[in-house]
Amino acid sequence: MTFEEQAMPLFPSLYNYARWLTREPHEAEDLVQETYLKALRGFASFREGTNFRAWMFRILRNTFLTSRTGLRATAMQPIEDDDQFVADGDPETIFLHHANAEVLRDAILALPLEFREVLLLADVENMSYREVSEALSIPVGTVTSRLTRARAKVRKRIQEKR
Amino acid sequence: MSEHLSAATIESYADGELPADRVPETEEHLRDCVACAGKLVAQLQLKRSIREAAWTITPDVFPRRRPRWPYAALAAAAAALVIVLAIPRRNTELADLHTTILASANPVDVISTDRHTVKPWFEGKLPFSFPIPELGATPFRLAGGRVVYVHEEPVAYLMVMKGAHRISLFVGRDVPAPRLDAFESLAWSKGGLRYVAIGDVARADLEALRDAFR
Repeated sequence: MTFEEQAMPLFPSLYNYARWLTREPHEAEDLVQETYLKALRGFASFREGTNFRAWMFRILRNTFLTSRTGLRATAMQPIEDDDQFVADGDPETIFLHHANAEVLRDAILALPLEFREVLLLADVENMSYREVSEALSIPVGTVTSRLTRARAKVRKRIQEKR
Repeated sequence: MSEHLSAATIESYADGELPADRVPETEEHLRDCVACAGKLVAQLQLKRSIREAAWTITPDVFPRRRPRWPYAALAAAAAALVIVLAIPRRNTELADLHTTILASANPVDVISTDRHTVKPWFEGKLPFSFPIPELGATPFRLAGGRVVYVHEEPVAYLMVMKGAHRISLFVGRDVPAPRLDAFESLAWSKGGLRYVAIGDVARADLEALRDAFR
């Protein structure tokens, strides 16, 4: 498969992800554009058999992290200690019939970057834990714990808004 | 009934990540336990709601800081990307010329195997001159030449034979190097001029032709 054949179908997903990272349409456009150019340049070094989608998302994320917005986001939000987490928020109490999309989006936007990204990749992109771990270069165990915490934070926020 | 499922089990089951050997017992429990089934439904609901809420490609989901995101701009961005991606592969102008000339009944204006005939023929027709080497000791044979226009600039066109294969050699001040799928091509520079050879021959043949002209 050529680069175009593999990369072009990912455009909407990459753009969507970029929107959530940057929060700005113009920055998201630039980020996606730069991602494609970098990927095109690096395609020769891409190993057949490894996960192309995770590879593209990783390039996008790394590009974002070195951008001005990305540096600000990581500087402001130190990674929390994953090990201290104890599951909270009983899902049973959270039926979402009334949680409108706007509240949900606010909750996602309010998430620190490292939680926002796992949630987007797992729930929006439907990536497996393994794929998310490849895209973010973090262990699978970290993916699951961050995902649990991200969802707990979203639930909590929705409850507060009620 | 077995013990209630842990929150972690319900979560990984909802994510489709529960190890296969644990799926049967989990599903058995879910059939009998309304409390756990309810938690699973809530988990799946949250996932689905997040997916639906977080898909921004449908416009206008974000609180605006700038004017609304026009849907047309996405299409334009996608189109621009396609163009960016396509440029390196689709510079086919010279290949089109090559094909057109070969298909023509009169592919060359000066028909000669003699470089001493072809070279003077170009004089006065081009704003530059270039040497045509003696090909006698090579597998190539000159078939003739003509003037073509690329980007509104006159460019010398030489037809060179290798056996029954015809190779197009373009020589000009600013000839774009093509990236082609259908033909082999090779570009080089010499004496301030750009040379581009195109043909359905092996790359090594084009390299040999380049060496003859350099």
